[in-house]
Amino acid sequence: MKQSQIVIIAVAVVAILAVSTAATFVLMKGEPKKLRMATTTSTQDSGLLDYILPTFESKYNCKVDVIAVGSGQALEMGKRGDVEVLLVHSPAAEQTFVSGGYGTNRTPIMYNWFVIVGPDNDPAGTRNATSARDAFQKIHDNGTAGNAVFVSRADGSGTHTKELGIWSSIGYNNTTVAAFNTNWYKQAGQGMGAVLDMCEDMNAYTLSDDATYYSRVDVALIPHLNITKQGDSALKNQYSVILVNSTMWPHINKTLAKDFLDWISSTAGQDVIKSYVKYGHQLFVPNAPGYTSTTAITGFVDTSLFEDVTAGTSEVPEAMLMANDMRADAPRGRAIDGA
Amino acid sequence: MALEISYDVIQVTLLSLYVSGCATILGSAIGIPLGAVIGLKEFGGKGLLKTITYTMYGFPPVVAGLAIYYLFSRAGPFGSFGILFTPTAMILAETLLVIPLTTGITITSVAEVDRSIKETVKSLGTTPRQSVLTVMREAWVGLVMAAMIGFGRCIAEVGAAYMVGGNIQGETRVLTTAIMLETRMGRFDYALGLGIVLIAVAMAVFFFLRLLQEKELL
Repeated sequence: MKQSQIVIIAVAVVAILAVSTAATFVLMKGEPKKLRMATTTSTQDSGLLDYILPTFESKYNCKVDVIAVGSGQALEMGKRGDVEVLLVHSPAAEQTFVSGGYGTNRTPIMYNWFVIVGPDNDPAGTRNATSARDAFQKIHDNGTAGNAVFVSRADGSGTHTKELGIWSSIGYNNTTVAAFNTNWYKQAGQGMGAVLDMCEDMNAYTLSDDATYYSRVDVALIPHLNITKQGDSALKNQYSVILVNSTMWPHINKTLAKDFLDWISSTAGQDVIKSYVKYGHQLFVPNAPGYTSTTAITGFVDTSLFEDVTAGTSEVPEAMLMANDMRADAPRGRAIDGA
Repeated sequence: MALEISYDVIQVTLLSLYVSGCATILGSAIGIPLGAVIGLKEFGGKGLLKTITYTMYGFPPVVAGLAIYYLFSRAGPFGSFGILFTPTAMILAETLLVIPLTTGITITSVAEVDRSIKETVKSLGTTPRQSVLTVMREAWVGLVMAAMIGFGRCIAEVGAAYMVGGNIQGETRVLTTAIMLETRMGRFDYALGLGIVLIAVAMAVFFFLRLLQEKELL
C-alpha cells in the first residue's frame, strides 16, 4: 500500500465525517427549540404521540424529543434532569416524585382503560366476576389449584404497578405476589406486546392496557385472547404531565415545558387527544381539569364504561387501590399539586 | 400495503452507519496502537493484560450503555456536557465495546507476524518506528479484521444504543432500536423489513472492508 493512498482514504473518511456532522448541525439549526419528554411505551406504541405532537410542534415552532421507556425509568430520568417533561401513568410513584421536589405542576391529562384478558375457555371464570378484584381472586384461586396461568409484566412499569395495586387490594402484598408459585404466576419482565404474545401461547391471563391489546388483535397475533373483564373503575389508567424541576436543572427550557402543559390541557389539546381513533376505538379519554368536551366522541366507545365511573358505582375507590401500593409515608389520595 | 412508517428509514439507516462508523474508527484509533504496544513490547504483567483484554471481548453492551448513561446524565459527573440522548453519547458507548476487540485482535495479529520478518527488520538497522510500521503492514489483514468485527458489533447492538440514545425519532433512532420499536408495536412485518435493511447495510460495509483487506482498492 502506498503512502499516498493511505492519505486519500484518510482524507475521504474525515471528509465524510465532517460533512455528516455539519449536516446534522444544519438540520438542528432549523429547529430552534426542543423539548425533551420521557413517556411510557404505551403512548408511543399506540401512535397517539405521532398523532397529537405535530399540532403542538407547528404552533410553537419546536420539536418534542420523545423517549419512550417504562414509567419507572421515565421518572428516574426526570429525577436526574435528563428530560424536561414527563407524561406518565404511575400515580403513587408520581406523588413520591413530586413530594420529593423533583417536579411541579402535576396535572391529569387523560386516561385509558386496563382490561383483563384471558383464553377462550376462561378457565378461571373471570367473565362472571363482579369486579376486577373478584376476577383477580378467581385467577389466584384457579391458579393455585392448577387450572389457570397468569403472566405478569414484572418490570416496574405503570401496568405492573396497577397489577400489584389490585393484588394488594385483595390482601396480597408485593412480597407475597413476588413469591406466588411460578407454576401459575409467570413474571415475564417484558413489554406489554410480548406478554400478550406469551399469554396467547400459554393460554394465560394478564392485565393489559386496551390500546396494546387492540393493536395486537388488529394484526391477528392473539386470536385466542379475549377481554374477560373491563370497565371497573379500578381498571382506569390515569396519565399525568409533570414538569421537571427547573430550579434544580437550569438547562431546562421551562417556558416551552409550561407551553406544552398549557397546550395539552387546553381545549384544543384535549380535543386532539379525543379525536384519536385507532382499531375502531377511541383509545384515550381526555380529562384535564376544567375540560368539557366540545365535540361528540368519534369512533366506537362502549359508553357503559363511563357510566360506571361517573356514577361512582365502583366497589373499590381508586384512592384505596393506590394507597395500598404506596410507601407508608407517601401522601394519600389523589390530590394533584399546583394544577 | 403502503409503508406506514412515520419516520425516515433512510435517515435511520445513515445514522446507524454514522454511529457505528465513528465508533469503529475511534475504537480502532485507540485499540490498534494499544494492541501493537502490548503485542510487540515485553513488560511485566503482559500476560495478565492480555487476559483482561480477551475477557473484555464479552463486555455486555447494556453495561457499556449504563456506564455512559451514568457518567453523562445531568446528575452524573459529566452532565454539564449535555450529550445524553445524542449520537455522540451512542458513539462513546459503542467505542467502549470496540476497544477491547481491536486491541485484542491487534495483539494476536502482530504476534503472528513471522518472527523472521521481525528479526530481518531489526538487522537492517531500521529505527524502532520504521520496524513497527513494517510489522503493522505485515499484520494488515488482521488489523482490518479487527475493524470489521468492531463494526459488526456496533451495528448489531441495541442495548447501549437504546439506553444512551433514547430512540428519538429523527435524532437517535437507529436500525436496531427501530426494529425493537416495531416489534413492540406488534408490526413484525415492518420489523422484519428493517432487519433486512440492516443485514444488507452490514453486508455492503463488510464487502468494502473485505476489499480493503485484500488491498484490491489500493
